[in-house]
Amino acid sequence: MRVEPFDTQRHMIFSRRATLFTAGSVLLFAGLGGRLYQLQVRDYQQYRGLADDNRFNQRVIVPMRGEIYDRFGVPLATNRQNFRVLLIPEEAGSISDALEHLGRIITISDSQKQKAVREARRGRAFTPIEVASNLTWDEFTKVNFELPNFPGLRSEVGNTRNYPWNEAMAFVVGYVGAPSENDLQQEENEATRLLYRQPGFRLGRAGLERKHDEKLRGSAGSLTVQVNAHGRVIEEYPNDGDRPVQGQPLGLTIDSELQIEAMRVLAEPIIEPEDGQEPEPVSASAVVMDIETGDILVMASVPAFDPNEFNVGVTSSRWRALNDSPYNPLLNKTLNGVYPPGSTFKLVTAIAAQEAGIKPSYRVNCSGKIWFGNRFFECWKPGGHGTMDMRGSIKHSCDTYYWNLAQQLDIDLIADVSKRLGLGQTYDLGLGTQQKGIVPSREWKQRYFRSTPEQQTWFPGDTLSAAIGQGYVASTPLQLAVMTARIASGKDVSPRIVRVDERGVVPPPPCMSLTINDEHMQIIRDGMDAVVNQWGTASRSRLENPEWRMAGKTGTSQVVSLQRDPVTGKRIRNEDLPREMRDHALFVSYAPYENPRYACSVVVEHGMGGSRTAGPKARDIMRAVLQKDPAMQRAYDPSRDKPVKLSDLQRAAQQSVSGGMP
Amino acid sequence: MSTLIMMDRRHGVRARLASLNWWLVVLLTLIAAIGVATLYSVAEGAWDPWARQHTLRYLFALVLMIGIGLTPLRVWLSLAYPAYFSMLALLVLVPFIGEINMGARRWIDLGGFQLQPSEYMKIALIMALARYYHGLEFKKVSNPLYLFVPLMMIGAPVGLVFLQPDLGTALLIGAIGLAVILLAGLSWRMTTLGAILAVVGVIGAIRFDLLKAYQINRITAFLDPESDPLGSGYHLAQSKIAIGSGGVSGKGFMGGTQSQLEFLPEMQTDFIFTIFGEEFGLVGAFGLLALYLALFIMATNIAMKAKSHFGRLMSMGIGLNLILYVLVNIGMVMGLAPVVGVPLPLVSHGGNVMIAIMAGFGLVMSTWVCRDQDTLRTSTSYYGSID
Repeated sequence: MRVEPFDTQRHMIFSRRATLFTAGSVLLFAGLGGRLYQLQVRDYQQYRGLADDNRFNQRVIVPMRGEIYDRFGVPLATNRQNFRVLLIPEEAGSISDALEHLGRIITISDSQKQKAVREARRGRAFTPIEVASNLTWDEFTKVNFELPNFPGLRSEVGNTRNYPWNEAMAFVVGYVGAPSENDLQQEENEATRLLYRQPGFRLGRAGLERKHDEKLRGSAGSLTVQVNAHGRVIEEYPNDGDRPVQGQPLGLTIDSELQIEAMRVLAEPIIEPEDGQEPEPVSASAVVMDIETGDILVMASVPAFDPNEFNVGVTSSRWRALNDSPYNPLLNKTLNGVYPPGSTFKLVTAIAAQEAGIKPSYRVNCSGKIWFGNRFFECWKPGGHGTMDMRGSIKHSCDTYYWNLAQQLDIDLIADVSKRLGLGQTYDLGLGTQQKGIVPSREWKQRYFRSTPEQQTWFPGDTLSAAIGQGYVASTPLQLAVMTARIASGKDVSPRIVRVDERGVVPPPPCMSLTINDEHMQIIRDGMDAVVNQWGTASRSRLENPEWRMAGKTGTSQVVSLQRDPVTGKRIRNEDLPREMRDHALFVSYAPYENPRYACSVVVEHGMGGSRTAGPKARDIMRAVLQKDPAMQRAYDPSRDKPVKLSDLQRAAQQSVSGGMP
Repeated sequence: MSTLIMMDRRHGVRARLASLNWWLVVLLTLIAAIGVATLYSVAEGAWDPWARQHTLRYLFALVLMIGIGLTPLRVWLSLAYPAYFSMLALLVLVPFIGEINMGARRWIDLGGFQLQPSEYMKIALIMALARYYHGLEFKKVSNPLYLFVPLMMIGAPVGLVFLQPDLGTALLIGAIGLAVILLAGLSWRMTTLGAILAVVGVIGAIRFDLLKAYQINRITAFLDPESDPLGSGYHLAQSKIAIGSGGVSGKGFMGGTQSQLEFLPEMQTDFIFTIFGEEFGLVGAFGLLALYLALFIMATNIAMKAKSHFGRLMSMGIGLNLILYVLVNIGMVMGLAPVVGVPLPLVSHGGNVMIAIMAGFGLVMSTWVCRDQDTLRTSTSYYGSID
């Protein structure tokens, strides 16, 4: 072979350079090897950990809320299955497309859509967000059938709060709702914030649900899951994590059967509607208390709202309707309705008079009106009652008698007796807001008018108004029930609504005797007996069964001062006035008379007259109470017994509630 | 010279097959087998969609390679320029008839087969440059006048591929072309001068926005891959986690959590080494690197032994081409090189690279078979007529 002379040189250079390139390549390969050593040997632990972080994810499991039972174990707030649809933004691609697809299968409102879009923007792309919940079984099966066609949508069976008695227990249990952005910001604990973000988690928003939220909430569980890069769960490790713990149950003093009956009775129309017209809704409330223990058996307020609606989420228009209603369906009137007690307050004045040394035999002649200060005070009975003693003044509710007493009494004494009887204060029920009411005194007036010193002086005329429960005096139905219970028993009973909490059955707090002479009280009790049973002002509220002797006192409190016809000068009848100018009707009562066990107060807003509307309602409620006499039945302890089967009771309740609920 | 050809004719098929370098075939097959196994694992233990196709492609490419290897080297010498110009023509055509995929126009659809001319261009360019220097007197190699032609030969495809846009491939074409010029003996002085000009050019390119935003992003992500784990650096961060978590012995065949759980994108193509590294660990990765290095050294060895300058430059160029692929790809997935779309030869799923690489090694094989022929031409008057 002939080798070209010039090829020798380029062959030599080539060989040199090829060797150089080879050496360089080997060197670079050594570099790759070094890097492999770095990653796979030196930093192995770190990358292993990162790989596991990628794979494993801690999922929060929302705990079931603790259930709430009545005194016999009837569930008042439970948990039910919630069929819902979740959306994983990352898998869905376009959220609006996914929602539109879903909207063709089931109806989704625009506000739900907006909410989903908002939440998707807030969370991480693989955090599921709730786009539809509380689906019916039909909707749910339809969705499950179609779902494989829509990436990113996932169906799930969760749990949500259920209030089987709807309106009837609204003010007792309150309601829950989804945490707001504000709740999230205020929560400092990172784990709790994570729990708040879980679809389906609910916070106690009102009533017991709110006050006892932390105990009812339970503790969240966790679940380790293996996920792929898209956050989709590949595998679950149920043994590697904490199980969620259901919240503590709560047992109440409420008797659901009586509560439902009371709601029905209260809602019965007070004015017969003209033919073909809807009866005017009644705005009223009632409290029934066990005089011995202070257990609240009934805490009824109509109209009410359905707490289930709040759990699912009320629309703003519905919220506005509830809020603007003149019948205040969102207000628990037993605790937050503040009314002049009217003639029911005469019981307090009569006790105060005896404390001041006035004998029950003290007589006053009622001629229908008295002149005091610079004006006439007119008794409710035109023409007057004639001569009255203390017992008669209660029986006939004679105003003149109390105006006479008022001229001999000091307002501070009346205030003192009021407070001892339980007015002008709140009670620790663990149940949302509660009004204090007003027990007027000299000191109170000074405080109340601190910005206008000329009005701070207490006038004798103020005492006259206060003596018949008008003027500044104001109290809640709960306070009136407590007052009645204390008069009936002579003990300082306090109300309670939680019977069983996490510590078990709570014994009723011990009662002390009131520092009031029981002989004085007996005069009042006799008077109250006469009101109902001896042709007094509430004789039509007498119970048919002679064994159930109910004692009571009517009250009619003016909302505006007495209206007269400008032409004839006659008093205008209440029903001829517009509703908001009609008098409030009150009735306080206890039974049985000989052996007092139950105290009941009823207030019918603009009910025109205590004997006319409040008395009969109280009678109907008291009849149900005595028929059942819950004190004779064994109360429920959730830590011992199985609760009553929900479905049976629910059916019964819906039948009885649907009759008269607003 | 005629006697050699006469001798060829007398040899039977068996003798001709025996003249092949079978070690080369063994190495290539081993690497391709690793590719098949890894693709099988990526598909979560299924032959489809990748492993079966990869096997069939390899077998086809192997037959092609042996066919090229059995064809006399002089045929390839005479085909060097035609091959180069036809590839250049295809590159010119790509913008007009090409398929758009992932924001770039790189492929020509040939009824079921997506032809990517830029991959074949690498081989054609090596051939053409080897052909050029084969006929160039050594003293002219460093002459700027004679440097102009090869620079144009490199510049044309680099520019066309860059405009597709495919920065990674363009850079690789440029690099391999320059490597051949260096192998041909360009003086170090000219080399230094060229390097300075190149740096100035790159700075100018960035200055005048010739690079697309994503290309600049990929390069900056290379500087600090962890800075933006979900943006451009996400691929890198996840692939480092995959390789690192493999450890010394790996997580076992089909046991890679990163890849099986889809944390890694484009696993079957550019990031395939991460799965291999995750499942087979340091031991497996070193083994694969050793196979590539062996293949390269074998090509170097053949080049050193070749008596024709064409064969030498071409074999060495093809060996370097392979090593560039491997260095850039593995460097890329380990965070040592920017993320530019460069596959791992014979392992990544993709027909064009497979065929181009195997065709290249067919040329190396041909060089081996014809290693004792020097001028490859019967006429000796050839030398003066090249320019």
